[in-house]
Amino acid sequence: MFLVWLLAVPLAGAIATLLASAKGAKVVAAITSFVALVGYAGLLFVNRAGVNWPWISAWGVRFHLEADGLGLFLLGLNAVLFVVAILASSEEMGRVYYFWLLLLEFSVAGLFAAVDLFVFYVFWEVLLIPVFFLLTQWSGARGKAAALKWLIMNLVGSFFLLVGIVAVAVIHHQNGGAFTFEISALSGMTLPAGAATWLFVAFLVAFWIKAPLWPLHGWMPDAYGESPAPVTALISGVLSKAGIYGILRVMMPLFLPQFRQFQLVLLILAAIGLLYGALAALRQNDMKMVTAYGSLSHMAMMALGIFSLTEVGILGTTYYMVAHGLMVGGLFIVLGLLESRTGTRTIQDMAGLNKSAPRLAAYFLFFVLGALGLPGLPGFVGEYMIIQGLIQSQVVFAVVAGFVLVVAAWYMLRVFQAVMQGPAKGSAIRDLLARQVAWLVPLAGLVVFIGLWPAGITSHAAPSLYHVTHFLAGKGGGQ
Amino acid sequence: MQDLVEILILPLIGAGTITAFKGIMPRRLPGIWASVLVAVSFVVSVLADRKLSHLAASHRVITGVLWNWVTGFGPAIHFRLYLDPLSAVWLLIITGVGALIHIYSIGYMHDDPGEGRYFAYLNFFIFSMLLLVLAGNLAILLIGWALVGLASYFLIGFWYERPSAVAAAKKAFVMNTLGDVGILLGLALLYVHYHGIGYQHLFRIFDNARPGSAFFEWSAFLLYLGAMAKSAQFPLHMWLADAMEGPTPVSALIHAATMVTAGVYLMTRLYPLLRLAPFTHQLIGAIGAFTAIFAASIAFFQQDIKKVLAYSTLSQLGYMFLAVGVGAYTAGVFHFMTHAFFKATLFLAAGSVIHALSGEQDLGQMGGLWRKMPWTMASFLVATLAIAGIPPFAGYFSKEAILGQAYNSGHYVLWGVGVFTAGMTSYYMFRLFFLTFFGKPRNQKLYEHAHEAPLVMTIPVVILGVFSVIGGFFGGWLNRWLSPAFHQYRGALTAPLEHGPVFGTVLTVGLAVVAFFVAYVLYIVRQTAPRAGTAVPPGLWMLKAWGMDAAWTWVAVNPLKWLGDAMLTVERGILAAVVGLADGIQAWASDLAPIQTGYVRRYALSIMVGVVALLAYYLIRIGFIS
Repeated sequence: MFLVWLLAVPLAGAIATLLASAKGAKVVAAITSFVALVGYAGLLFVNRAGVNWPWISAWGVRFHLEADGLGLFLLGLNAVLFVVAILASSEEMGRVYYFWLLLLEFSVAGLFAAVDLFVFYVFWEVLLIPVFFLLTQWSGARGKAAALKWLIMNLVGSFFLLVGIVAVAVIHHQNGGAFTFEISALSGMTLPAGAATWLFVAFLVAFWIKAPLWPLHGWMPDAYGESPAPVTALISGVLSKAGIYGILRVMMPLFLPQFRQFQLVLLILAAIGLLYGALAALRQNDMKMVTAYGSLSHMAMMALGIFSLTEVGILGTTYYMVAHGLMVGGLFIVLGLLESRTGTRTIQDMAGLNKSAPRLAAYFLFFVLGALGLPGLPGFVGEYMIIQGLIQSQVVFAVVAGFVLVVAAWYMLRVFQAVMQGPAKGSAIRDLLARQVAWLVPLAGLVVFIGLWPAGITSHAAPSLYHVTHFLAGKGGGQ
Repeated sequence: MQDLVEILILPLIGAGTITAFKGIMPRRLPGIWASVLVAVSFVVSVLADRKLSHLAASHRVITGVLWNWVTGFGPAIHFRLYLDPLSAVWLLIITGVGALIHIYSIGYMHDDPGEGRYFAYLNFFIFSMLLLVLAGNLAILLIGWALVGLASYFLIGFWYERPSAVAAAKKAFVMNTLGDVGILLGLALLYVHYHGIGYQHLFRIFDNARPGSAFFEWSAFLLYLGAMAKSAQFPLHMWLADAMEGPTPVSALIHAATMVTAGVYLMTRLYPLLRLAPFTHQLIGAIGAFTAIFAASIAFFQQDIKKVLAYSTLSQLGYMFLAVGVGAYTAGVFHFMTHAFFKATLFLAAGSVIHALSGEQDLGQMGGLWRKMPWTMASFLVATLAIAGIPPFAGYFSKEAILGQAYNSGHYVLWGVGVFTAGMTSYYMFRLFFLTFFGKPRNQKLYEHAHEAPLVMTIPVVILGVFSVIGGFFGGWLNRWLSPAFHQYRGALTAPLEHGPVFGTVLTVGLAVVAFFVAYVLYIVRQTAPRAGTAVPPGLWMLKAWGMDAAWTWVAVNPLKWLGDAMLTVERGILAAVVGLADGIQAWASDLAPIQTGYVRRYALSIMVGVVALLAYYLIRIGFIS
């Protein structure tokens, strides 16, 4: 029942924060997220059993949650990053802020555990709401505009998704199957030729927007730019994975012929996004925007891994999602700590801060190195597997991906060096506080650990990917 | 196996403890602690190598798996360590020369406030470099490979308040990332074809393969790309000259003796692959020879003592790649070893000079220092004789072995370039030597204050100087040690070390002696100023390193920036489209719905209406509602 724990604890904690005092809300939220993390440890080491309860029997909907290798580590990412994000948030935010955060943790946990399409869709919709309010209420001057863009684009995607889900269930029923939304029951079903392509596109658009992937990332710059650092860390670290995860969990079992048919187009789109994000990041002068566009590029890398349609590429993406979530989440939070000290995000307005804040500089550099894919840290492992997958399928995209790694080193170091090195400019800033180091150390340690021992994740994820990838056998998927 | 772990872990412990406790460590302790750890690592290395030597000559391998690194697709990639005669040589040089340079650094860095940070980085470098040479497959090698790059980045940018140091560090890192990506692609390619990237696994397959397929050429070339970046082969060489921004002992250890030779290590390690890729193999030799002569020409007119040494390092690395290119792997390793001795001596002695002149590196401010620093001068002199290839100093033997085998294997052009470059080397090195230590002091004030370095610095320099003298006599031992390893698989020349024709030796040494006299006449007899000849081409071009920096800026850096700007223009379009979408929906919704109570509800409602229509359309289309 640890899986239910992961959902129930944040939900209960969310309500508890509303009852807490304004100052006490953070403590309640922190304890809640920590209890959820303990529950995750139980899930990982003690019992991974899921639940399968009847829900809407008329439609064949069952409240079915499972923690298989595909979602298991994303659930962990969710649990870890919320602890960090809550600890990194200020007490001043007030109880409602923590209420929304915990509601978000609840809905994301549900999303990564759902194996019934209807349940998946419900969580998919629910998570729009906390983010919307976090953007309107606790963000910068253009927070409302950011929230609207987030909502409009994601609602468009959601409704496409709804159409797709209903249509798939209906077609399955028409084909003589039971009326069900169970993904495992629907997987591999035959779709009518005309509808298949349209349904494929409908699903894809929804996930494409959520990730986001180029060119449907219009909501991203404002949402990342305006939200407070912990929220940015959560959107980029956890929520963005929902899009990629959806492609893997929902689309792969349903649309394999379409993936094969449109593989080249998908690869080209992802490769454009990969280059686009990296080159745009190179020319940004706002350190948060550099990271945002860099992250856009990384999302495209994950998409490339899937679209390689090889076991190793898909496994690489599964691993990379977790790695990227931890590192980019850490990076955004460090940027937030920096911004709160300097009051600016423009890299030209800062210089030489390493002198007054060496510890902050060290953690900044650590996450920068992770983001640029330094071998030894986990980003590299994911990139390696994805590139190997691309070599197996379409080698030219492997070269593009390799090239982007060089650009990534450039744009990430550019930010670090401009801010931290050179002759000191302006007044000294305060270094990290001991309590901030106290949660940065475990986060950095976890990053190092999964980089040293990627097999800890990949060996568990691979068997669950089997039901996805066994369809691939025969097309370069053998290895 | 356990000793390999110990060798690796000792410097890592040093880096960790110093980083954690540098705030509370008394002064000097970080340096002593770091030096002790590397020295112990050296002792364990010697013991491990002895153990290796007790194995039967054809089976000299100690290897083991620490843990499964990645699994889940194809055969697992292990975190494997691997010691064979080749890595054993590197092991001794890394820890041995490394320990001496650590000790020297205690003196060199004693009044720098960043002393603790410095030794943490230095120990981290040793750990990374050891991981690189002890790795048992290409993936773990790549981790070490990238971490030495990171250590180099830290140490080039050690004085991070200097903009030039920061820029140099970034250039080194990005250029080396290009090389890392080459290795990444190369190893992925090998994995895809051979389901594994362990050395033994691959070499057994290579041994039965026929040379010449495009696949082998590509994988060899991609791996060479990594070697090219790390060992600063043309055209990826500029970062090394800029890397001189780091403290001088770092230049000695990382940017001369060890890290920059990692490319030589990798190519030597992969000799069975190079056999299968004849085109790439030839290319390696050709680029090596070109780098040798090209860098030597740049060294002619440099004004900075460290820049001359940097370009001479480039040039000597060119020789090592020349050796790889003609299949003379033992000779290449031999030159790596002697080069580690004499180049470390040169850099450390130069460091003592810079230290004595309160940081001055300009040759225009030096001169006549032999009176003040006799030990430093003597060490510098023997190392100069060694690099100039004068018998019986160390460099003579190793260079001779390379050139001889180039000639004997029929690579006459490479041989000719090598011989000519040997003469050039002798000229610019003696120019440097004379300008530094002889003639009249060109800056009287600095000269007055100059003094011999403290013992903690002088002793390591003298020890390395002694090895620059006798290092050439290790050739026979190296020959016996490496030849079983190079005979295990096909691809290396059958005679590990051999002599070239007598006229070749006479010509090489003769040119070096003539060049010595030219330098003598110009800089001792005529007292030519250091800057002479640099105002007009070709001296100007040589001083400016043939404009390669500008070329890179225009070919790679600026186009990428323009592309980035173009992307930002596109981005504005995409963002405007989102706003357009929002406005469009709003306008449409206000036509439809007279009751409006707020933004969000309106958007949501209008999207809902649209999508229900879409949903209906789909359902009709697929025949559900008829």
